[in-house]
Amino acid sequence: MPVSALLPFFQAKGWQPFDFQKQTWEAYLAGKSGLLHAPTGQGKTLAVYLGPLAESLAADRGCKVLWLTPLRALAADTLRALREPLASLAPHFEAEARTGDTPAALRARLRKKLPHTLVTTPESLSLMLTHADFAEKLGGLRCVIVDEWHELLGTKRGVQTELCLARLRAWFPNLRIWGLSATLGNLTEARQVLLGNAFSGSLEVSADTDKPLVIETLIPKEIDRFPWSGHIGTRLASQVADEIEKANVTLLFTNTRSQTEIWFQELLSIRPRWKGRIAMHHGSLDRAERDLAENGLRDGSLKCVVATSSLDLGVDFSPVDQVIQIGSPKGVARLLQRAGRSGHQPGSVSRIVGVPTHALELVEFAAARDAALARHIESRTPLKKPLDLLAQHLVTCAIGAPFEADAMRREIESSSAYAELTDIEWRWTLGFISNGGDALASYPNYHKARLENGLYTVDDKRLIQQQRLSIGTISSDPAVSIRLANGRTLGTVEESFISRIRPGSSLIFAGRRLTLVRFNQRVATVKVAARTGKGQVAIWGGSKMPLSSELSHAIALRLKGYGLPVREMEAVEPILAIQKRWSRLPDDESLLVEHTTSREGEHLFFYPFAGRLVHEGLAALVAFRISREVGESILTTQNDYGFSLTAKRGLVLDEETLRFHLSAEHLLDDLVAWMNTAELARRQFREIARISGLILQTPPGQKDRSQREVQTSATLLYEVLERYDPENLLLAQSRREILEKQLELTRLTAVIHRLQSAPMHLVETGNLTPMAFPLWADRLSAMLPAGDAATRLEAMLRTLNQAATKGI
Amino acid sequence: MYPFLHHPTLSILPEGCVFLGCSSTLVVADVHLGKSAAFRARGLPVPEGDTERDLQRLAKLVRNYDVNHLVIAGDLFHAQAGITGGLKTALERFLDELEITVTLVIGNHDSKISSLPTRLKCVPHMVLEDVRIVHDPAHTHGGQLHISGHWHPVVKIPDGKRTWLRLPCFLFRDNTLVLPAFGSFTGGAVLSPAADDRIFAALRDQMVEIPLALWSGS
Repeated sequence: MPVSALLPFFQAKGWQPFDFQKQTWEAYLAGKSGLLHAPTGQGKTLAVYLGPLAESLAADRGCKVLWLTPLRALAADTLRALREPLASLAPHFEAEARTGDTPAALRARLRKKLPHTLVTTPESLSLMLTHADFAEKLGGLRCVIVDEWHELLGTKRGVQTELCLARLRAWFPNLRIWGLSATLGNLTEARQVLLGNAFSGSLEVSADTDKPLVIETLIPKEIDRFPWSGHIGTRLASQVADEIEKANVTLLFTNTRSQTEIWFQELLSIRPRWKGRIAMHHGSLDRAERDLAENGLRDGSLKCVVATSSLDLGVDFSPVDQVIQIGSPKGVARLLQRAGRSGHQPGSVSRIVGVPTHALELVEFAAARDAALARHIESRTPLKKPLDLLAQHLVTCAIGAPFEADAMRREIESSSAYAELTDIEWRWTLGFISNGGDALASYPNYHKARLENGLYTVDDKRLIQQQRLSIGTISSDPAVSIRLANGRTLGTVEESFISRIRPGSSLIFAGRRLTLVRFNQRVATVKVAARTGKGQVAIWGGSKMPLSSELSHAIALRLKGYGLPVREMEAVEPILAIQKRWSRLPDDESLLVEHTTSREGEHLFFYPFAGRLVHEGLAALVAFRISREVGESILTTQNDYGFSLTAKRGLVLDEETLRFHLSAEHLLDDLVAWMNTAELARRQFREIARISGLILQTPPGQKDRSQREVQTSATLLYEVLERYDPENLLLAQSRREILEKQLELTRLTAVIHRLQSAPMHLVETGNLTPMAFPLWADRLSAMLPAGDAATRLEAMLRTLNQAATKGI
Repeated sequence: MYPFLHHPTLSILPEGCVFLGCSSTLVVADVHLGKSAAFRARGLPVPEGDTERDLQRLAKLVRNYDVNHLVIAGDLFHAQAGITGGLKTALERFLDELEITVTLVIGNHDSKISSLPTRLKCVPHMVLEDVRIVHDPAHTHGGQLHISGHWHPVVKIPDGKRTWLRLPCFLFRDNTLVLPAFGSFTGGAVLSPAADDRIFAALRDQMVEIPLALWSGS
């Protein structure tokens, strides 16, 4: 069916199809797969959906299109967006969503018969693969569309998507796959990962229409009183309120959920009459509260919504005409994504106002604009062959339909993530999901999948039930729901957060001051706090993003004086001048190291400009190496620009020594040694144990007595595996993942190699410089002398005794 | 051996057990034999390694301390599914070699085992040298020193911004000495501090008391 059939739909709306839309329809109808990258609100939904819709107009009623969305919260909006063209072009077809939120009745109906278009998530798709008749139900599937692919890329859910797509491609060799993505630094790689071995002949379509983008910054009135760095405050709140006043509808983004709560409170206290006209939105809030905020944005009845990344994605809110970003966006892509949430009226401009929370963020905003205009955007690195997911997927497949090993291996290897799977890894994983195999000899009587007539089969009802529960548990920190005594749920927080708060202490959540009454099982009961006043915001969701390489580089360029003069740089100049006078400005081509002494002892400050995670790793590495030599406790701190070491003695400003401690030799061994003492790998193992089926899932609020005997913690499993099966490949994966996640190992390695040949500038300073001060002021974290638990415990007891004798 | 101040002949040992000097009795708790086998029986790939080694450790303690009477303060076994032929043989051999009385104070896990080995003397609780031995600390009463298990106490000592040591420990609370779990595939419950709690852990084969300041997190 020709594209012209679609034109009446556009004419009825008074629209003209964009070139990229026509290009996508034609490519689809010519049988091609591909990736469309487009900013939000540019008609990308119609671009990818109308091709398959046009093609299936004359076809039978089976399921033709699968639409994968990364967030189940987006499913409802997506469904609405797809039903509109469906209603006008093909009213006899249905579209439905099937996610974890879908009511049981609808789910049961969808089990019997699938609609023309099914909107679902990677987890739900994986779950449907366990149904024996799923392939048959999908019968005439022609197209899979993966929305917001950039969000999935580089995550385990992205790999889960790859595996599901490999399965669907094996079932339907002519299947076309289209991804939608925001702009990335590695779009070709993104397409290759999405399409796997179906990459050749595919197409990239760009809808990068030149939409005007304005990036502004609020300049603090008194720069000298403004904190140099580190202190997060609401100092500019009244200026922010003025900006909100000027616009119709503002989306105000913060970087953490606790900041969202703080800013919401602050704005209300400055403008009490905004009560009811401003709202909050973050991932922990109850669905009903989030819906309220979203509807207010959709119909323009709210003045402002304070949000975290929970509103980064999703369909557009056309009334929004201004976006405010509190604090550094930490990355160029994120700034663009957030800016793109405004200006959806035809002919209007996307406008984002940056609000610095400390002086150096002025430089960050200037640099982010430079990089955004030059289109120097971050890449997302795809994950390679996580075996926990492979194990999960193989059991999923075996439940759906018994499989033959060689055919399954070919299917798995058709995905990009597992294209380089080795024989050892494959055989090990097969053993892990069946009877142990050769590599798992210390697992007597273990079996999961049975080998029957050459086919791997799982038909034990209890195992099937366990597997269905464990699909969809890829994200890790268990959620605890926050409830009032009357049973009303306010939202959820991470267990690791709530377990740190003592009953009787207060916290701010969902815009209310609350007192924790008790916390047990997965429910924290709270009451509204009696006292008014500011109340302390318990900080949670503290996964602070590190500064991206692209943005770090842009900042380094600005500090070197490159770029056109801008207001931000003018404003921050007095502080940079002090830094230059007392030391020098750091950059990313050389390494500046400052040394100073204080009452606490000696301090070394390093500025490699590599983001806080890398700095955390470098600080730990150097401290670990020095402490091994001099036997002193070394305190470390880090931020996005550098890191500091503090010790009583032994920190010398000597190029040869420093180069030795920063050397790439034994890098991995030293990091692993440090990591093991810090127990980091064990914590990462929780996620892996869950995905690979080592830990049973209990549905929330349901106690299964028969499960109690086989419940254990990931930490203990890690210890048991280390002791009795040290070659277990999941242990190696755990170490790799923790290094990458906690310390950005790839980036850290690159930085270490860059530092090998970089010139070093060593400066002895009398005072703490503006760059050093925030590192010094940060809460110090102790790096105890390297050693095992006993050594460290001894050191702590000794310190305590010394303190006691001194009478402190 | 670490003499325990609340009783003249009771010592706590770094191996995670208690020695009663007058009767030469060794008390351990929460061995959970066959736990990994119970996991494997449910399709969870956990390696074997606990049962044989835990019995060997126990036998070695009995020899080294010249023990006359071994008391297990509950949860010798983990689950019915974990009692394999191999475990039965290993246990028989263990009892043959020991040649001493072994008493099992029945724990909540043991009570679900269909037939406990007849060679064990099974009791709901017992008194030795004025100390009452139970499995669950909830089954104690005031006025008398108790030994119990069940809780698998573990103490968490912060030693950095995001890092901590996690040590199995003895907990002394309300006149009850709660033993750490003896089995090597047993988890632990991290203690929340209560007033007057005392905590003891092994440090290089020595028992030390862990000061409240180190583990209370304050």
